[in-house]
Amino acid sequence: MKEGLRQDRAGSVFKALRSLLPVLVILALIAAVPLFSPSNRFLSLAISAGINVIALYGLSVLFGQTGILSMGHAALVGVGAYAAAILARDFGVGFWAALPAAALASAVFAMIVGIPSLRVGGHHFVIMTFAFGQLLAIVLTNGGDYTGAATGLDLAGPVTLFGADMSDLTRYYLMVVAFVTSAAVASWAIINSSYGRTLRAIRENEKLAASLGINVGRHKIGAFVVSGIFAGISGVLLAYFLGHISPSQFSSFPSIYLALMVMIGGARLIEGPLAGGILVAFLPEVLNLDPVQSRIVYGVCLIAVIMLLPDGLIGGIVRALRAAFSGKPKQETQQRGAAEAQR
Amino acid sequence: MRAVDIFIQQILNGLSIASVITLIAIGVTLIFGLTGIINFAHGEFLMIGGIVTWLAVSAGLGFPLAVVLAILAVGLMGYILERGLFRFTLERPTNGFIVSLGLIVVLQHVVVLFWNPNQKSIPRPLTTVWEVGGVRIASVRVMVIAITIAVVALSFRMITASRYGRALRASVEDRDTAALMGIPVRRYITGVFVLGSALAGLGGALLIALFPITPFTGGTMVMKGFAVALIGGLGNIYGAVAAGLILGIVEGFSAGYGFSQWTDAYSFALMILVLIVRPHGLFGGTSGPRMAS
Repeated sequence: MKEGLRQDRAGSVFKALRSLLPVLVILALIAAVPLFSPSNRFLSLAISAGINVIALYGLSVLFGQTGILSMGHAALVGVGAYAAAILARDFGVGFWAALPAAALASAVFAMIVGIPSLRVGGHHFVIMTFAFGQLLAIVLTNGGDYTGAATGLDLAGPVTLFGADMSDLTRYYLMVVAFVTSAAVASWAIINSSYGRTLRAIRENEKLAASLGINVGRHKIGAFVVSGIFAGISGVLLAYFLGHISPSQFSSFPSIYLALMVMIGGARLIEGPLAGGILVAFLPEVLNLDPVQSRIVYGVCLIAVIMLLPDGLIGGIVRALRAAFSGKPKQETQQRGAAEAQR
Repeated sequence: MRAVDIFIQQILNGLSIASVITLIAIGVTLIFGLTGIINFAHGEFLMIGGIVTWLAVSAGLGFPLAVVLAILAVGLMGYILERGLFRFTLERPTNGFIVSLGLIVVLQHVVVLFWNPNQKSIPRPLTTVWEVGGVRIASVRVMVIAITIAVVALSFRMITASRYGRALRASVEDRDTAALMGIPVRRYITGVFVLGSALAGLGGALLIALFPITPFTGGTMVMKGFAVALIGGLGNIYGAVAAGLILGIVEGFSAGYGFSQWTDAYSFALMILVLIVRPHGLFGGTSGPRMAS
């Protein structure tokens, strides 16, 4: 009996590891890109995409696992970015020390936003996070010299790792890939932990979860704080990459784009944020669209994905592949599809 | 100017902005009350209304005709979007909300694509400025307030006194029971989308009579509309009107007494505060239609 249980657990760990594998392979391939001497433009695009993906992994824990949608995620990224810039300016704090500090700042901000917003609950949460995002942008704009007002702040600190200067594009790229990998692994670990199961229980049926003794409120705030940590780290990377940050980068419209990316990619799967971030960053390049056209395409994609593929693009592809390649999983996927549609 | 003159003038300015916000808030609150869909794209409906007005006036049409065109065009847009998209999200209102996010992005950038992102303005339809005992009153603001009062009064009358209004209120209260009583709820949902969109179109036409607008005006305006709808209690039309008045006056004063850079912050801060103290708004609202979840 006990033996069986252990085997079962080993089996589930193996299964969980197998779900991580495709992401690791893709990331390894992405890390090998500099070998083909890509253009600087490609590298910059890839770096911004990677920085977004880190924030998206946080958002996927919140939206994909817990089922709460935040329209203020860019604000959390902004708190991280401003924390890094202000720490560097006033206290001479460097990149590596800024990382935990900014993550903490974003987490605290997430808690400050989360406690009243989640108390209000349900439909209102989305609007509350949106309002907090707008408020933050207004506060940053009116913050005078301390926040650099509408022009924002400059940040010119070098990023060094073991004495090597990481500011070079290729090195920064590799560093961002490493961060994306840790974000993916962290989010995978959350999904496959009992904590992740708790969050999913809340997503599926909040009242039932509460009746099982799960402290729904605390876990929701916890998930929001966790997503804030991801966002804070992404903010530091963004601030050091761009060298200049301004309030408009973190208002509510960038938040909409983050939500759009995670939903186009699919919030519940580990590949989703990676796919969404890369797709949205490179689609204009591939299709040769100007920014206005590409935004129209994103909007249409989002509507199409929501109406046709509730699991996101990757979820849809996976389902289609499963259905195409074998008979038995086909039935299973159809059942899953039906269950999905009912929800 | 005497202090009391400034005071009266700011109330007037505040009320004219509040008029536009109230027009959005009514649509937002009705659509949410009936379908549970948080339609963020409602602000873009308003923006489109402004753009249609701008196009019509630029083409040489008079302002009154332009307003009618804006109302018709946005009402039709609401009809098409409800039939084509939102109808399919009624079972899962969250999806409706996400669809509205996509619509924001699409509508904004379609406008940018065809008519560039710059500010657009029309010559003021009424240029008279009355001077009453030292207070300068711009007639265009009075016009905006008067039209809004008339339209809101008409909507109230429709909703409180007619049998259609009673059916609508019954559907907001309890969709399933209303359907069992033979009320064609689906048709009412379409109707509310069209009505809400038409009001947003009117709001856009009135807004461009007051200020220049850009393709991105909708974002801030819809947030204020939601702030008003939430402060008043979602689904509660009376609440929306009352909260619109409160917000307009607060904004008017803040602009008149030297805190204008914080003007936009008040609506959000007020909304957050009200929701923390009274999650269902000052005047009580619904938390959306009861879903079989």
